[in-house]
Amino acid sequence: MNFFKIISFLFCLFLSSLVYAHTQDDLVILDIEQGELNFQDEIVEQEYIAALKRQRLRKLAAMPWQEKFGVFIKAGIDHIIPKGLDHILFVLGLFFSSLLLSSLLWQVTAFTLAHSITLAFAALGLVQIPAEIVEPLIALSIVWIAIENCVFKQTNKWRPVIVFGFGLLHGLGFATVLKVYGLPQSSLVQSLLAFNIGVEIGQLIVLAVAGALVWFIRKKSWYRLWVQIPASIFIAIVGLYWFIERVFL
Amino acid sequence: MLIMACQSSDNSGDQSNTNPFDQEWDTPFSIPPFNKIKDEHYMPAFEKAMAENLSEIDAIVNNPEAPTFANTLDELERSGKLLTKVQSVFFNLTGSNTNPKLQELQRELSPMLSAHSDKISLNEGLFNKVEAIWQDRDNLDLNKEQLKLLTDTRKGFVRSGALLNEEQKANITEINSKISELTTAFGQNLLAETNDFELILDKADLEGLSEGVIAAAAETASQKMESAETEEDKAKYQDKYVFTPHRSSMYPFLTESSRRDLREQLYNSYIQRGDNDNDTDNKEIAANISKLRAERAQLMGYETHAHFMLEERMLKTPDEVYSLLMQLWKPALERAKVEVADMQAVVDAEGHDFKIAAWDWWQYSEKVRKAKYDLDEAAIKPYLSLDNVLNGVFETTNKLWGLTYTELFDINVYHPDARVWEVKDKDGTHLGIFIGDYFTRSNKRGGAWMSSFKGQSNLDERERPVVVNVCNFPAPVGDDPSLLSFENVTTLFHEFGHAMHGIMTNVTYGSLAGTSGPRDFTEFPAQILEHWASEPEILKSFATHYETGEVIPDELINKLLKASKFNQGFANTEYLAASLLDMDWHTVTADEALKDADAFEEASMSKIGLIEEIAPRYRSTYFAHIFAGGYAAGYYSYVHSAVLDSDGFEAFKEAGDVFDPELAAKLRTHVYEKGSTEEAMDLYTQFRGRQPKIDALLKVRGLDGSAD
Repeated sequence: MNFFKIISFLFCLFLSSLVYAHTQDDLVILDIEQGELNFQDEIVEQEYIAALKRQRLRKLAAMPWQEKFGVFIKAGIDHIIPKGLDHILFVLGLFFSSLLLSSLLWQVTAFTLAHSITLAFAALGLVQIPAEIVEPLIALSIVWIAIENCVFKQTNKWRPVIVFGFGLLHGLGFATVLKVYGLPQSSLVQSLLAFNIGVEIGQLIVLAVAGALVWFIRKKSWYRLWVQIPASIFIAIVGLYWFIERVFL
Repeated sequence: MLIMACQSSDNSGDQSNTNPFDQEWDTPFSIPPFNKIKDEHYMPAFEKAMAENLSEIDAIVNNPEAPTFANTLDELERSGKLLTKVQSVFFNLTGSNTNPKLQELQRELSPMLSAHSDKISLNEGLFNKVEAIWQDRDNLDLNKEQLKLLTDTRKGFVRSGALLNEEQKANITEINSKISELTTAFGQNLLAETNDFELILDKADLEGLSEGVIAAAAETASQKMESAETEEDKAKYQDKYVFTPHRSSMYPFLTESSRRDLREQLYNSYIQRGDNDNDTDNKEIAANISKLRAERAQLMGYETHAHFMLEERMLKTPDEVYSLLMQLWKPALERAKVEVADMQAVVDAEGHDFKIAAWDWWQYSEKVRKAKYDLDEAAIKPYLSLDNVLNGVFETTNKLWGLTYTELFDINVYHPDARVWEVKDKDGTHLGIFIGDYFTRSNKRGGAWMSSFKGQSNLDERERPVVVNVCNFPAPVGDDPSLLSFENVTTLFHEFGHAMHGIMTNVTYGSLAGTSGPRDFTEFPAQILEHWASEPEILKSFATHYETGEVIPDELINKLLKASKFNQGFANTEYLAASLLDMDWHTVTADEALKDADAFEEASMSKIGLIEEIAPRYRSTYFAHIFAGGYAAGYYSYVHSAVLDSDGFEAFKEAGDVFDPELAAKLRTHVYEKGSTEEAMDLYTQFRGRQPKIDALLKVRGLDGSAD
């Protein structure tokens, strides 16, 4: 009664009756029927990575929403600390731009708003810009704001706008990582939200640590010459190095 | 990729110097610690395990006490644990997650393991102990299972020649060695013949072929070009398309190509393998294997090799096998002739003037199929996502036997595609572990099979099994789930049937557990489960559209069922012809002269009236199953199991309820739980209430005249 019994019957004929692990006999039969296996390391690796993602998504799908939320918050933090050196440097670039809390607040807000928007858009597939373009631009953004820190003693009114613009870029960078990691179809928005929250927490930690480190010297007269500018130069150099690396290597 | 590194299973192996096979495993459910086992651990583990096994045997043999069931058979059951452990992991991975190193290891280990098992099966001291217990069995108050274990164990020794005198034993050893050489040569010749033939085509020769088939052929060409050594050889494949006599290459070509001349070429290359009168010819080898086996059987006291093989099977004599095969042969051949006529009608309608030949079968049967049944695979697949089908088989076995399945996520597996479930019985007790590794991979062998990492036993403590199903379904692409064909669904249910056999088994002695019985019975628990997959009420419970959630429409189900009897004439004829050929080869007697393989086969096939449009599924020179594998006088096993599964499922149809509780319980108790603790025929009759009848199979396959 089963049409495909004939096919499965044929199938049975040479393979599916192997009850225990293939005996030597059966292996001979398989070798002959199927031809030898062709090993290519990159393909094996690719298959492994794709399978790893599927495994991760299965595990996520089986979690209660609270646990899933937590996983994505952690992933978000993780993506800044320690895996987001470029984002850390960018945030530090913001930090070293001014001693005025209000300025820092505006910049961080602009950055957060911007990257949240592009993260959402890109993760949901509404926007698609290849990583080969985004990553070098992110590196450049680091260079830009770091140099601005050296040139300008105080942030001007355009700074938050520039930071907003760069934030859009960084959001695209986050989205790439998130896509590779895998977003569960069934709870797309919550996971996205949780990841974003994680990113913010990561940023805040960076700022808090930076703040704590310079707290006692922030009022010193030499702060700008010996802390702000050298730090910014260092950030600019690293940013430049990354730009070259990402474009040419 | 950075985040992924966090989540990926730990492959670093903290104590890389310690061999995990040297330690007790503290993993959940004794699932092997795959993350710790490396390629270099196997050989030392095998060597140690074999040495350990031999000293365990020595301990039994040298025990100064009189032989008892406890100090001999129980101890024999306990011996070789480490070897079983290592073998289970090794042979499973060489199938599902292999690499060049493992394949090399396999070749090295094969003779070593052979020699090792000979040391035990030919151990005189061990046999003497077993024999002593056997002679005394009536006084020992053994239970049924113990008696079966004793009988089987003793029989194993006897069948290796234990009761022969020294001269006879020497003869047997010599014959065995010759046979082994010949079977190895047979396999190697066949491998060479299959790999050597290439149909190298230009773009212009590809009429009728679909994109996927063309792409695969281009891939074959580029692989061959890469492994070619000279520039001249490389040029052979440049911009070409290559087809080979491997089934996965040949069948699509024969089905789709509209070039009749090329189909003939490829087909002939397939059926002439080993019959080309060259260095890799198998005619003499096959004839010699048959003769040597006949001689060995006679030495052992059997009329023919078939008699020797059937002693351990459900069907006990060649007559029973021939009777079964011939009962099916007549209706199958009749049906095949009708199929030829149907196809000839298409040929004539197309305006051609040739007569259907063997190499036309795939092409024209497909045309007949499309015209009569109009079954569009693409319309059905969306209803058959892997997860849906898995739920389907879980639900079915839950309704039948109360089993429940819980997926476990934190187990270290050998590949991230391997999923792990805990299987619990109706009352919540742990029954076993089921691992499902469903997707095709480049480092996985083709086909589908069930295997086990750990067996069941109640001898010293309650040990529950760890079984695996490995299949080759296409991996999901992009965001879509993996969608199966109905053939895949049947395969999934089939392998799950084997898994159920391995998991529900509940016996004392591990050697008698699960799938340990005769080949003509062990396909039955797998094949019977397939029937549930095509029951409309069950299909409707799991086959829902992966996007819309819509239940599979009745219309599609009806199409599936209507088309079920398609091409059964061909399928059964080619299979039965091969089975009959197998039996003919192995019912020759020792005093008969060496056969001419071609003439022998010709006579065999004309005796039963095989039509020229069909070749036996395996001709003698490429019948690897019987001349290089373990199916000698056993190829009929598949159809015999089919008799059982059709007749067995018929019981549920007769009861009017595919989930009839009484029948389900009987099926479980007698078929799935008892392993080989009783004779297979007894297991069947206790379930069914009578011996199996062939009628249900004929009906299922439309060989009773009911196909249109």
